[in-house]
Amino acid sequence: MQLYTTSFQAMGCPCELRLFAGSAAVAQDAAAACISEARRFEQKYSRYLDTSVTSLINRSAGVSATPIDPETFSLLQYADVCYEQSQGLFDITSGVLRKVWNKDRQTLPGQAELNEITRLVGWDKVRLSESEFFLPQRGMEIDFGGVVKEYAADAIAMRVRSSGISAALVSLGGDIVTFGAQLAGAAWPVGIVHPTRKSSVIATIYLKDMALATSGGYARYFDLQGKRYSHLINPNTGWPVDSLLSVSVSTEQAVVAGSISSIALLYDRQEALEWLENCGCAYFAIDQDLSCYGNLGG
Amino acid sequence: MALTSAALALPAFSASVPDQVEIGIKTTAYRESDQNPESVLVGSVQRYDININQFYLITPIGRDWGLALDLSHESMSGASPWGTVSVVGANTQLVMSGATIEEARNELSVGVTRYFDTASLGLSLTRSEENDYNATAMAVNGEWDFNNRQSTLAVGLSYSTDSIEPSDALSFGRTLKQARRNASFSLAWTQVLNRASVLQSGFSVTQHNGYLSDPYKLRDIRPRQRLETAINFRYRRFMQRSDSSLHLDYRYYHDDFGIGSHTLRSAWYQNLTDQFQLIPSVRYYSQNQADFYVGGDDYGLAETVFQSSDYRLSGFGAVTFGLQGRFSQRDWSVSVNFERYLSAAGYALNASRAEHPGLLRFSLLSFGFDFRL
Repeated sequence: MQLYTTSFQAMGCPCELRLFAGSAAVAQDAAAACISEARRFEQKYSRYLDTSVTSLINRSAGVSATPIDPETFSLLQYADVCYEQSQGLFDITSGVLRKVWNKDRQTLPGQAELNEITRLVGWDKVRLSESEFFLPQRGMEIDFGGVVKEYAADAIAMRVRSSGISAALVSLGGDIVTFGAQLAGAAWPVGIVHPTRKSSVIATIYLKDMALATSGGYARYFDLQGKRYSHLINPNTGWPVDSLLSVSVSTEQAVVAGSISSIALLYDRQEALEWLENCGCAYFAIDQDLSCYGNLGG
Repeated sequence: MALTSAALALPAFSASVPDQVEIGIKTTAYRESDQNPESVLVGSVQRYDININQFYLITPIGRDWGLALDLSHESMSGASPWGTVSVVGANTQLVMSGATIEEARNELSVGVTRYFDTASLGLSLTRSEENDYNATAMAVNGEWDFNNRQSTLAVGLSYSTDSIEPSDALSFGRTLKQARRNASFSLAWTQVLNRASVLQSGFSVTQHNGYLSDPYKLRDIRPRQRLETAINFRYRRFMQRSDSSLHLDYRYYHDDFGIGSHTLRSAWYQNLTDQFQLIPSVRYYSQNQADFYVGGDDYGLAETVFQSSDYRLSGFGAVTFGLQGRFSQRDWSVSVNFERYLSAAGYALNASRAEHPGLLRFSLLSFGFDFRL
């Protein structure tokens, strides 16, 4: 067995494959299948591509329902469970709030502007069936942030597993799935990037048959009129959340780890730590003062 | 948890992992160098030739179970030392058997492993048969991962019963039937040190009870109990830049026959192309002699006094040079392995004055073929 590594770009982020395979041919085949699977997810769900299902749904908002396939239906259903579990905080229709809160903003928005935009947010307003999805108001949008990239990492890892690879690490922009052991039974070490200092590692986490997803992290915030704001916005108030800086969660599936960590960042600091504890999973959290919490890493 | 069960409804997780069945065959030719004629008083100068054929199969059963099957057949021919004679004014001389020994050994081993989230538990049964030696062994192995899987604890227990029925016992006045029981316990801790290196530290203890002498030797009387302990360290370092890895192993062994030994092995796994891997290795071994080792068999001693002139109980050192090449393709790989083993009293750390004339030199060439279904 030998380690083969491949890097590529997909879904707007750097991706990496580390495969333990008996031969380069096996590794190359598996890598090619993984890359095409990552591209498939990107083509299908990227909100930056006009032809994606996401864009089609968003363009049809307030006009007509969009036919959906079983995969999209199951992802939307998963998003529905996330909405329920987070009491409405994790809402895939909240992406429109970025139109108000972004790096280009010079002044704080007024309440009228926020009221206008929060009108377009609300998972409870959508209509979902096995064959169709409908956003009832013009201007409403969905995006699969916190779900699709993580799920793609899971799907790719499953694909690698079935192609005769005994151990692998799949990383899609820091959402990581591992299976098997490298080097004599050893776990896969994964570095967590310091939330304010790029290319500096704040903790190392060891994964074996586990996935890891990180929300927040380096440069996922912006400064406005002397105050630092998270890029995550409470869909109910329309205001950025004053929360943890970064949360990494390890569970068996990256998609679960991704939603737990995304939801954690939508709560305020204390509630977030309670949520993580209640989930009963391994986590590593960093707050605004750079204090670290959780049972992962070291 | 609601999120987990919702996630498991996603299509990627409902697809089951297909079974990967792995099958391999290996054939090995082991050749001991001829005995120097000057050291042989009686018998053949030719020593053992062994041909070994092995087959293995590993297959998952469902998601949580694995099955491993191993079969091996060995055919041996040649001669082995029966004893030694001290000759006044000359080196000790060997009494060898005639070059007539033809033997075969068959072994079957079946193992099942149950995999859990952070642990595995395995059970295996092994049966080995020769015309004069049968052994049945059972082993249980467990492995647990700790510290976010940075550490692995492995525990093993095994027990075997052997029965010995020397051939031609009546004509040569050998013992007719004897038995031996062996129990062993091992403990190993594997620790990830950093991104590229792993260290395993282990301890093992083995107790043998019963007939431990060599029934073919003319005068070989050993204790009926032997307690062996060993500690070992295995270090693996992966080097991304040169696409290679270094394996360093050390073992210290001690038993209550009075033998202590050191084994140091180093191997370098180098990838030369995507398909071809070369593994040179060198191993050094040194042991001191057993308390009751005698250079020449002493027929003057009572039969209750322990004595053995077996070269394996003498003080000696040994060096093994190995070179393995492996060529891998999509679903199969071929490997060729060559080893040359040289032993001498002078190679030992505390070189003993009297070298056993029967110390081995052998060459080993093996050819393996593995494929996946």
